[in-house]
Amino acid sequence: MDGDSSTTDTTQLGITGEYMTGGTYVLQTQDDDGDESFNDHEDGNGSKDHFREQDIYLPIANVARIMKNAIPQTGKIAKDAKECVQECVSEFISFITSEPLKLYLQKFREAMKGEKGITPVTVSEGLGEELTDDSFTFSVLKGLHNELMLCYFELTAGQLPAGLITADGQQQNVMVYTTSYQQIPGVQQIQFS
Amino acid sequence: MSAKNMEKVEQATNRKNISLPMSRVRLIMKSSPDVSCINQDALFLTTKATELFVQHLALSSYKNGSGKETNTLSYSDLANAAEESETFQFLTDILPKKILAREYLKSLEEMEKDADNL
Repeated sequence: MDGDSSTTDTTQLGITGEYMTGGTYVLQTQDDDGDESFNDHEDGNGSKDHFREQDIYLPIANVARIMKNAIPQTGKIAKDAKECVQECVSEFISFITSEPLKLYLQKFREAMKGEKGITPVTVSEGLGEELTDDSFTFSVLKGLHNELMLCYFELTAGQLPAGLITADGQQQNVMVYTTSYQQIPGVQQIQFS
Repeated sequence: MSAKNMEKVEQATNRKNISLPMSRVRLIMKSSPDVSCINQDALFLTTKATELFVQHLALSSYKNGSGKETNTLSYSDLANAAEESETFQFLTDILPKKILAREYLKSLEEMEKDADNL
């Protein structure tokens, strides 16, 4: 992710300043231009063609609603806080759409293969050294295990073709999550029946 | 994906009460390098995890921050959470703490003054 563009965006939020000594800063203007042009997301049409790739966010209304339901009833949320969480969300999605997710899915499917009694999967190996067993991502994935199982069963109830997770060879670095039986040359395939 | 399969997926996801648009989540996932196609399982898992992430971030920041006095979740609460909590470390780049320009220049001056005095 390009950290610079996000930093630039936050300087446009124009709120009252916070002070600190040491550490990293972002300079902010005194003006409150109140113009958040990167944040209208209600429509899904071509008007967003001018957005850079790193500016893709989830709709702020949805994000704000989730936040509001999470904090105590009487709490309020600053507008710039909502916008920032919106950016954090995109960062989070990019963060887990890599090794952690791939490894989790692979292990999950292996567990699914042994039909009788789904055994819980452990993904601590895949989450990197900096994330401990208590890390949020890990507990989230663990917590989602049951829900995903149910969802998976519903998907396969109509005997859909089983999903493939393909791992690349050494030449190309392409990760494919697919539900088709495509034969991709030069790619090692793990098949589930 | 056929219409019938899509219907099944939608049924399943509706039952799970997802409040984030999966199509948008897929877009963001695709912006990652090395990802070409995304399985429905992966997409659902990510969307759900994202929801929980928002809840967790909001609540942690609110609790640790100025919620007691102002009852409002502010940007600085988020920035503090990113810095202090291990699980939110990956957000420190996009949640820097803010400083007014004149304060920064002032502290710069003071640093230069200290350097001169040495």
